[in-house]
Amino acid sequence: MNGHVPFGVADYFWDEARRRQSLLNQLMETFRGWGYGDVIPPMFEFDSTLSAQYDDTLRKGMYRFLDRDGSTLSLRPEFTTPVARLVGARLHDWPMPQRFCYGGSVFRYLEPQAGRQREFWQVGGELIGAPTPAADAEILALTATALRVAGLTDFRLIIGHIRYYRSLLEALALTPQQAQQLQWALERKSEPLLADFLRDTPLRTGQRQAVETLPHLVGENVDSILSLAERHIQNSGMHEALQNLRQIVDALTGYDILDSLVIDLTEIRNLGYYTGVSFEAMTPGLGTAVGSGGRYDDLVGRFGPSQPAVGVALGVDRLLVARQRQEEADAATSADRRPPALALPQGNAGALALVQKMRETGLHIQVDVNNWTVDSAFAYAAETGVCDILLWEDGFQHHRRDERGDFVLLGRLEENRLSPPTGACREKLRT
Amino acid sequence: MTTSFAAPVRNPASDPEKSQSSSKQAATEQSLLFALPKGRLAQDSLSFLEKAGLSIPTDTASRKLVLPAADGSIGFVMAKPRDVPTYVEHGAADLGICGLDVVRETDRAVYEPLLLPFGHCRLSVAGPADRTTVQSGENVDSADLSVRTSLSSHLPETPLRYMSQPRVATEFPRLTRRFFADRGVNAEIITLGGSVELGPILGLSDLIVDVVQTGATLRMNGLVEIRTILESQAVLVVNRTSYQLKSSEINRIIERMRILTD
Repeated sequence: MNGHVPFGVADYFWDEARRRQSLLNQLMETFRGWGYGDVIPPMFEFDSTLSAQYDDTLRKGMYRFLDRDGSTLSLRPEFTTPVARLVGARLHDWPMPQRFCYGGSVFRYLEPQAGRQREFWQVGGELIGAPTPAADAEILALTATALRVAGLTDFRLIIGHIRYYRSLLEALALTPQQAQQLQWALERKSEPLLADFLRDTPLRTGQRQAVETLPHLVGENVDSILSLAERHIQNSGMHEALQNLRQIVDALTGYDILDSLVIDLTEIRNLGYYTGVSFEAMTPGLGTAVGSGGRYDDLVGRFGPSQPAVGVALGVDRLLVARQRQEEADAATSADRRPPALALPQGNAGALALVQKMRETGLHIQVDVNNWTVDSAFAYAAETGVCDILLWEDGFQHHRRDERGDFVLLGRLEENRLSPPTGACREKLRT
Repeated sequence: MTTSFAAPVRNPASDPEKSQSSSKQAATEQSLLFALPKGRLAQDSLSFLEKAGLSIPTDTASRKLVLPAADGSIGFVMAKPRDVPTYVEHGAADLGICGLDVVRETDRAVYEPLLLPFGHCRLSVAGPADRTTVQSGENVDSADLSVRTSLSSHLPETPLRYMSQPRVATEFPRLTRRFFADRGVNAEIITLGGSVELGPILGLSDLIVDVVQTGATLRMNGLVEIRTILESQAVLVVNRTSYQLKSSEINRIIERMRILTD
């Protein structure tokens, strides 16, 4: 046996594992604070359930395998579809709206990138059964809150509306090839490709102007961009999309995130099942989005009675990278970076009983199970970063590592001494 | 010209990023990092940037990896051309210049707002001259190209479109595979790191797909162009996040370049 793991997965341990776990918990707790209830969907499901609504990239990127009865199964590549299935198939008669939050591994057979292996962690929430701009606004505001909880201070939510683009396509009545050409130009924000499209495609003046205006429908000045877009409306769908965006922005007024908004009506990538507003969360220092979401009113209906829905998913791995790059490591998570104390009961039952009592108060204590000599215990402590050693001599004698790395006898254990910050001690160890 | 992609205009009064960015740019002191391709496009890229009024590094021969502009406003990295889209996709660099051929081959998720007026070349299929008959005066694209493939198992005189599995040496496996696949041909792609002209000479491949500027290299090696896969030139690529978060700086650069491309 060698110790290899498959490409795209990784072991996380010690601090790194704890940071991931604690970020996941923090984010879940944020969602819970907004009334979102936990849901744990299965790790794999029928392929037909999961892949029906995905775009090609995601569908190609799914891990598939056969069940013993020959049915095709897939590892979940995201959580939204399983949650939509749950609500559509089983919870459709429970009062709406329903709010769910989740966190865990998803799997995509894609090239590993910054902060994303083939197995990566998502945390997210879905708000099902509310078609209103207020629901969209809640998800946007919740996303901003979650990003702040994750320690990011500088971020933008790039907001688009797929209905605007789809309605424009309807109005233009393009051939599939022409539509592809336009999509290519917009996906790449390429001026030459858009010029090619305009040259190759016969359009009426108003339509032509609507296409020529598209590149300008990007920016932070929400009101002026929406006004500009409104001047080039070709049909009711485009009108409704813009009106919907205005209502969502209005609904955000109370949430204090208007400064973080960027409108981009040309962002049409990766929008698989979205039907309305869609957004990506971006932050300096990471080239890709740390989270994305949007409205998907047609998904729940695939599994039961139709329900409007909106949701967001955040990439835990990417958030960790982004936070690390912003050097804004959250104080709360670094404060508990305290290695457990090492207790040597020397075979004394009373010592173990005392350790049990201390553990109940929340102290982290590991017990020697190797019958170590005092020297071995000190050597182990020195190598693994343990700062407190408790030696049983008719009661615990407390040894504490000092700034120079030497252990000093503090005397009889006083429990309140075990909790003080050992951050300084950790820092010392690194150097 | 109204088809310009305007990066989001930021209201200078409410620009929280400006005040914070200085402390957050740990890796470089410059607000923007520009990835430039080493080699063929290097000099053209630098002169183009200079013409566009950007401050460029004074000491490009330096062995330092990140070169500050003369006025310190922008940082530059000289990267392998292939790596430029990768740097930009990951956000390691905010912007980059490289050939359109490389952008299409690497297929990275980057924005590509402008084509730049240099680095013109084409990605072409070429084959041995003595085994490829192109009637003079005939449109190359519609000519009945017969490639005598004495080196492979095909019958001699088989036209390209009837070869069941031509062996093609290239540095552009993705584009090559797609070109042949679009025509219903499962080409056997032989990926090389350079000097692909050697392929037919050594009997490694029937055809090659390579970048052609003047065609001199091909002629020298007894090869003729058969089809053009892609007309290429230099292209500006921009990271998707930077495009939104550093919009004012990037927009300024795009504006300056656009003047030179119209």
